[in-house]
Amino acid sequence: MSGANRLTRARRRVGLPRLPSSRRDARLVARTVRLVLGVPAYAAVAVVVAVLALSGFVLSQNVALVRDTVVGGVLPLDARLTILFEQYPFVGTSYGPVAGAMLVLIAVLTGANVAVVAYHLRENGVLGGDGDTGADAGPGSGAGGGSLGSAVGVVLGALGAGCAACGSAVLVGVLSLVGASGVVLFLPFDGLEFTLLALVPLGLSLFWLADGMRGAEIRGCPVDI
Amino acid sequence: MDFTRRAALATVGAVGLGTVAGCLGGATGSDGGGDTGDTTPIGDHPAAGGLDAQPALGAADAGATVVAFEDPSCPTCRNFERGTGARLKDGPVADGDLRFVSRVYPIIYPWGKPAVQALEAVYARDEDAYWTLFDHYFAEQDSFDEDNVLDLTGSFLREATGLDAAAVVGDAAAEEYDDAVQADLDAGRASGANRTPTLFLFRDGDYVTRATGNVSYETIASALQL
Repeated sequence: MSGANRLTRARRRVGLPRLPSSRRDARLVARTVRLVLGVPAYAAVAVVVAVLALSGFVLSQNVALVRDTVVGGVLPLDARLTILFEQYPFVGTSYGPVAGAMLVLIAVLTGANVAVVAYHLRENGVLGGDGDTGADAGPGSGAGGGSLGSAVGVVLGALGAGCAACGSAVLVGVLSLVGASGVVLFLPFDGLEFTLLALVPLGLSLFWLADGMRGAEIRGCPVDI
Repeated sequence: MDFTRRAALATVGAVGLGTVAGCLGGATGSDGGGDTGDTTPIGDHPAAGGLDAQPALGAADAGATVVAFEDPSCPTCRNFERGTGARLKDGPVADGDLRFVSRVYPIIYPWGKPAVQALEAVYARDEDAYWTLFDHYFAEQDSFDEDNVLDLTGSFLREATGLDAAAVVGDAAAEEYDDAVQADLDAGRASGANRTPTLFLFRDGDYVTRATGNVSYETIASALQL
């Protein structure tokens, strides 16, 4: 038996969802996301969630500043708005181009994740609603795991974005909890590696959702490759 | 099977949430240390303890003050100094509107610790030389490590200043001015500075807010109405 087959059998034994393994899987994810975001309401959900996620990521890095000057304090409105917008990547200086692009990408993936979850829950009747339940899309299917995986992905996405933005000091602190603070010396991108890791659960959750929705129809199109 | 899958996913989720809790703890921790959102007189703020003994640029009676906790080994501090720091010093500091106070805070890479010992040893001799060395550490940050920092510091001081470089390096190695380093570390911890740079902003003698990371010039100028 090949190593890959052994891994697959081990995964099935512990009940883990299938992992993407081919371009075909990537095309399935892309097609599912494209079809869901083709519905204006879900596209709007994705945009709103992405903006909220990005805001959460960046504003959480300077809570006191936002609280004292944007929300409270005595500054005029233009100063408050300046401080607020300056916290975002590509507006202020808090994030370099790579870190900023990663944050935006994670926010976009978070928005897409939530939109697909919302579509799945609402349109495919995963929560027992009266939507059109696809043959492979019931509770306990891969999509069920995808929903939970999506939530985990969003949480880990926030973690990755937050930690990369925090800078090395927080990273050292987090790593020191597991006795690995010296590891930071070997991270060439000062913690941006954690943001890259956050892409994994977000991508996996999208795949599990798309896999579970396989066979269902979105805007009249079957989700299948 | 389902139970196993749920257990596996729950474990992943728990680990994620646990780690996030650590991260969020850092974020909310940045609110701690005496910041209540209220205005506190600069003389009573923990970040400003012993402020008159700190290296500072700008007029002593300037309307605004920035107390900056920075680590010479911190890449984010380097980016801040190259951009926002330089603009502050060329603009409001030079114009007499802002006092920029430096506090050393070596919490990132190991070479930052001997570096700040050298900075304090230099400051005890010549404040101008302090800023020269301060800028040099950021300008050549990638050149330093724990083993060579004092040697390179000595070489630089010999070339760029009139100080007795060997004496400075000797004092740094012996941590002769460790009290000054510890005063900064104590002030940072008391005020909840757990990242670098952490900037405490004061206007007309009262605390306004704090900002962390490579925040923009516009952020500080707006917060302090410069």
